[in-house]
Amino acid sequence: MTAAHALYDETQGTLVASGIWRADSIGALPDLAGKHVRVIDGAGVTELDTNGAWLLLAAARPKASDPMPELRSFQPRHLAMLQLVAPHCAVTATKPKPPREGMLELAGRGTLVVWGHVFGLVNFIGHLFLELVALSAYPGRWRWRELGAQVNAVFVGAIPIVAGMLFLLGVVFAYLLGSQAQQYGANIFVVDGLLLAILREISPVIVAVLVAGRTGAAITAQIGTMKVTEEIDAITTLGLSPLAVLVIPRVIALLLALPLLVFIGDIAGILGGMVVTQEQLDISSHMFMDRMVDVMDLKTLLVGLSKAPVFAIFIALIACRMGLSVTRDARSVGANTTSTVVQSLVAIIILNAIFAVMFVRLEI
Amino acid sequence: MTEAVIEAQDVSIALGGHPVHRGLSLTVARGEVVALIGGSGSGKSVLLREIIGLMKPQGGCIKLFGQSVWDSTPEQMSRLRRRFGVLFQDGALFSSLSVEDNVATPLFEHTVLPRVTCRQLARLKLAMVGLPPDAARKRPSELSGGMRKRVALARALALDPELLFLDEPTSGLDPISARAFDALIRLLANSLGLTVFLVTHDLDTLFSIIDRVIVLSDSRVLGSGTVAELRHIDDPWLREYFAARPTKGETVHGN
Repeated sequence: MTAAHALYDETQGTLVASGIWRADSIGALPDLAGKHVRVIDGAGVTELDTNGAWLLLAAARPKASDPMPELRSFQPRHLAMLQLVAPHCAVTATKPKPPREGMLELAGRGTLVVWGHVFGLVNFIGHLFLELVALSAYPGRWRWRELGAQVNAVFVGAIPIVAGMLFLLGVVFAYLLGSQAQQYGANIFVVDGLLLAILREISPVIVAVLVAGRTGAAITAQIGTMKVTEEIDAITTLGLSPLAVLVIPRVIALLLALPLLVFIGDIAGILGGMVVTQEQLDISSHMFMDRMVDVMDLKTLLVGLSKAPVFAIFIALIACRMGLSVTRDARSVGANTTSTVVQSLVAIIILNAIFAVMFVRLEI
Repeated sequence: MTEAVIEAQDVSIALGGHPVHRGLSLTVARGEVVALIGGSGSGKSVLLREIIGLMKPQGGCIKLFGQSVWDSTPEQMSRLRRRFGVLFQDGALFSSLSVEDNVATPLFEHTVLPRVTCRQLARLKLAMVGLPPDAARKRPSELSGGMRKRVALARALALDPELLFLDEPTSGLDPISARAFDALIRLLANSLGLTVFLVTHDLDTLFSIIDRVIVLSDSRVLGSGTVAELRHIDDPWLREYFAARPTKGETVHGN
C-alpha cells in the first residue's frame, strides 16, 4: 500500500499528490504555510476519500482565505470527491480551541456548585414538606408496599456488612486501647472506653457512612436511571407525585432502618471488643458483662442512637434529590451518584461535629 | 455481475429454542441501496447483528467483501470493521463525549493524525450530514432526536467506509425529518459510492430511496426485488404490508 504523498514544486507553485489518500494511510503532510499553491496535480492519486480530500485541500490552503488552487489531472471520481468537500472547508478550517479556565473562574464555579447544592437541598425539603402535609390528609395514598420493599433493601440487606464491620472495629479498638491500658494495669477500664467510643461515636458514624455508600448511591442510581428512561415523567403524567411514590418511602425506610442498624452495630462492636479483652487482657466475658452493667449509662446508648435518624434524613434527602436532578444521559447518573456519596459523607461529618458540641454544651 | 459486498449462505440461528433463521441466504452487490423488511420478530435485527459480527450464527457462513466474518482473526476483523460503518437505532452516541469527539473517536483510534486534525475532519463530517457548526461542542443530550441520528450517521461515516449499515434510520423521527434523512442517505450513497444495507419499517423510505428490497418471513428470505416486483409475490403479510400504500402512480392526488 502506497502511503499518501505530497510534493511541493516551488518554481511552478504546483503541489503534486500521489498514493492512497485515506485517513488511515496519511501520516505527516508538508507544511506549506506562507506559500502559494496555484495548482494541485492529482495524476498519481490512486484512492481518495472525503478525509483524504479535506486533508489535501487543507494542506494546499493553510489559510481559509487562500484562493482555491486549480485541480489538474485528477480522475473524475476523485475530482467529484474534492468538489463535494471543498464547500465545507471554510467552516472546518478554524482549529477548535477549548476555552481555558483560570483559577478565579474555577473557584467561582466551585462556589456556585456548592451553593447550588445547599439551595437545592433546602428547596427540596420545602417541596417534600408540602407533599407530606398533602399526604397526611389522605392516609390511603401512603405507599406501604414500597415502604416494606425499601425497609427490606435498606435494613435487612445491610445487617451482615454492618455487623461484620463493627465487630472488626470493636476488635481493633479494644486491642489498641488494651495494649495501652495494660501498661498501667488498668485492664478493666478498657471496657469503659470501648463502650463510650462504640456506642457514642464509632457505631453511629460508621454505620451512617456505610449506608450512605451502600443505600445512598443505590437510591441515586435507581431514581436517576428512572429519570433517563422517562419513568419519572410517566409517574407524573399518571397524576401521581414522584415525591410521594419514590422519595417519601425511601426517607421513611432509612429513618426506620438506620437507628436499628446502629443498634446492631453497637452489639457487634461490643462483642468484638469482648473477644479481644478475653484473649489479650484476661477479662472473662462474665467480668466484661458485670463491668458493662456497672458503667454503662442508658444515656450513652441514647446519645448514639439519637444521631442516627438525623443522619438518615440527610442521606435520604441528598440521595433522592441527586437522583431526581439527573439529566437525560448516562454520564450524569455516574456524576450524581458520586456527588451523593460525597455530599452525604460531608453532611455526616459536619452533623457529627455539631452533635458533639451540642451535647457538651447541654452537659449530656 | 459486480462484486458482492455482503454474502450470507445458509445462515441458521435459534434463540431460546425458537428458530429465527433457517438456511437463510442473501447477497448485496457493490453500490446497491438495499432495504431489509419483515414483520416484528422476523429476525431483521438479529440478521443485522450477525452480519456486523455482534452475534454468532449457529450455522452457515457470512462474508463481507469476500472475507468470512466469523472465521477471521481479530486483526483481520479489525481491518474489516474499518470498511463498514453502523448507525444504531437510537444513535448509540457516547453521552460522556461532545458531538465532535463522538465523530472523531474512530479517527482517534484508527489513524495517526493529530487530534486537532481528527476534530477538524469530524467537523467536515458534521457539515456533510447537514448539522450547523455550533452543534459540534454540544453534548448528545442537548440535541433533538433527528440531530442525534445525523451525528450518529456522521460517526458511522468518519472513516469513509465503503459499506453502511442502518438500523431503522427513520424510526422516531417526524415525517419531514425522516424524508430529509432519507434524502441525505441517498445523496451520500450516490456521492460517496456507498453500499447501504438498511433495516426499516418505513414504507416512504422504501418508495423513495431504495434500489432493492429483501423480505424476511418464516425464518428465510421470502423474496427480493424492486417494490413493484414484490407486489407480485403472493404472501398474506406482504399483501397487507403494501395495502397501506397504493401502487406507484396512484400516489399523486388531484389536490
